[in-house]
Amino acid sequence: MSDSPIVNEFNQGPISCHAFNGDRTELAICFNTNVVSIFRKSGASWTQTSTLVEHDKPVTSIDWAPKSNRIVTCSQDRNAYVWTLDGASHQWKPTLVLLRINRAATFVRWSPEEDKFAVASGSRCISVCYFEEDNDWWVGKHIKKPIRSTVLSIDWHPNNVLLAAGCADMKARVFSAFIKGIDKKPAPSPWGEKLPFNTLCGEFSNGAGGWIHGVAFSPSGESLVFTGHDSTITVVSPGTGDIQSIRAPYLPYLSVIWLNENQIVAAGHDCAPHLFELKGQQWAFSASLDAAVKKADVGFTARDTFRRMDSRAQSTTSTDTEVHTHHQNTINSIRSFSGTPEHVEQFSTSAIDGKLIIWNADSISRGLGNLHL
Amino acid sequence: MSNTLRPYLNAVRQTLTAAMCLENFSSQVAERHNKPEVEVRASKEVLLNPVVISRNDKERVLIETSVNSLRVSIAIKQADEIERILAHKFTRFLTQRAESFVILRRKPIEGYDISFLITNAHTEQMYKHKLVDFIIQFMEEVDKEISEMKLSLNARARIVSESYLSQT
Amino acid sequence: MAFRKIDIDALEEDAFGEDEIDFQEIGELRPVADVDAQVNSRAQEVSGNTSGALSTSLQNPPYGAPFHAAKARNTQTVMEVLNSIKVSDVPQLVKSLSPEEQDVLMKYLYAGMATPEQNNSGHLLAWHEKLTEVAGQGCIVRVITDRRTV
Repeated sequence: MSDSPIVNEFNQGPISCHAFNGDRTELAICFNTNVVSIFRKSGASWTQTSTLVEHDKPVTSIDWAPKSNRIVTCSQDRNAYVWTLDGASHQWKPTLVLLRINRAATFVRWSPEEDKFAVASGSRCISVCYFEEDNDWWVGKHIKKPIRSTVLSIDWHPNNVLLAAGCADMKARVFSAFIKGIDKKPAPSPWGEKLPFNTLCGEFSNGAGGWIHGVAFSPSGESLVFTGHDSTITVVSPGTGDIQSIRAPYLPYLSVIWLNENQIVAAGHDCAPHLFELKGQQWAFSASLDAAVKKADVGFTARDTFRRMDSRAQSTTSTDTEVHTHHQNTINSIRSFSGTPEHVEQFSTSAIDGKLIIWNADSISRGLGNLHL
Repeated sequence: MSNTLRPYLNAVRQTLTAAMCLENFSSQVAERHNKPEVEVRASKEVLLNPVVISRNDKERVLIETSVNSLRVSIAIKQADEIERILAHKFTRFLTQRAESFVILRRKPIEGYDISFLITNAHTEQMYKHKLVDFIIQFMEEVDKEISEMKLSLNARARIVSESYLSQT
Repeated sequence: MAFRKIDIDALEEDAFGEDEIDFQEIGELRPVADVDAQVNSRAQEVSGNTSGALSTSLQNPPYGAPFHAAKARNTQTVMEVLNSIKVSDVPQLVKSLSPEEQDVLMKYLYAGMATPEQNNSGHLLAWHEKLTEVAGQGCIVRVITDRRTV
């Protein structure tokens, strides 16, 4: 495995969301349009194999269930579809989902067992959908109270019942999404015991307010991390009653994942993934995982000056800012790529600059290890 | 006086970068609509605190931001009547006739001379750091433009009056 | 046609009211007299004493909607302290503040710049530059996001 990140440039516009299939040979990606494109890995690059056309407003989120090989997409047109691959024709066929929401859908994720999925929406509710055999459609049950604004992101707990939601009303909440008939009673966890549908198991906020952009449960489900628009990330562990808020001197993060129980990677408006580590009992910012690659040629030589005057009509030395990270624009999604949830080896980030980059977690921690005294 | 220019522009640059953290956000009020929240101001929780950066009481920048859009309003330095007229004409020309100037708002906010409205669509098509660079450059150049126009105006006035008065 | 005058979106039960958002972050509002008293006593404390004055003036700012007078008085106090500190001392003073105090200081810098007739903006800009070097753009983001305004 090479140490440097693998950059995939699609040049089809900003990437709004992406999802890999179970063995990472296929990629579902949306370029800020109504259409989802499926790519297949061929050698070192990706070739487009099919498109999923059904939505009539931009697709906001995609998730690909690794075991059952189903794709769920949701969009600003208030709809979501579940796509299954038809073995004979190799075409993806959509199945209707009854979300019953009256505003845009913002985020969707399959549950760990892949028997239900949750859709976050702007109608101030989360729709938890399960399959109804009789009518051959997916039906949603709503989690409404006490959400006061658009839900921006969700994450499932490993026990398939608990759901964390980050919302624009400045709160991160944990709900129970227990569906009778589909779920078995979950084992008691630090989040609560008897958990009927729509029970609020916890409500948290960052110190200074700010919309909660990303939420993630730790691999064991004991802790929850969420990131807010006030550039802080907060880790909550109800078992120990520990709540730690880390103020970052950087721009806000939009998305966050756990590499293992002691490491979190967050990425957002700073265009680079940042690593946070648990040292002893304290969480703290460790390093940016994108060592800024400064351009070698930053010379203000006479030749450069005249070249600049000629091509760009600039007579003074250029004061243009250059962004030296691999991504040139905001990263909006970070997902684990390889390894187990307890030990993520690679993760992928997609950004508004149209690039999808796969990073190596191992090489980074090895590199960081060299920095430690 | 000019020793506050660099810190002023730096402060504006940092604040703009911090405020330009925009993302796509569908309207909560109207289904299937996507509006700049800073203009609509319908949902209070998606709006953020406006900030003012000032160099002195004549030159200010107001930055108001929300989840998917940002409004930057600039008050240009106008020391005398002539500069006031020139600034007014200049900004009117831009707001009425500059069609490819997509980030320009057609009417400035009350109390300011010119306003920009930047939405998430703009930050998706253009790099954020370049947009910030552009606004800073604009602020620097507009002052130069106004003083150049004033100089050429005075020069022309002098030539006209000389030729008129020498006619006896 | 009376129904056209009703702002239906404001009446929607789940929507946020202005005061509600403030309340969430601030919690219980202290009585106005208490806050006024605290702000005034702080002004006295600070006027004599330079060392530690900065830190003291940044403690417990009067957050909340009803405290207009207290906010104005406190802003004035902070401005006085900032003006009395030489530009060369600024970098190490800023480093000695806790992250919370840095955020509060940034809020006061912007509050001060909003009234340039009363405050020396040039000096505030110098403070802004030094504070951003230490606290980063995250500090500015927190000023913009935090509903608790000074």
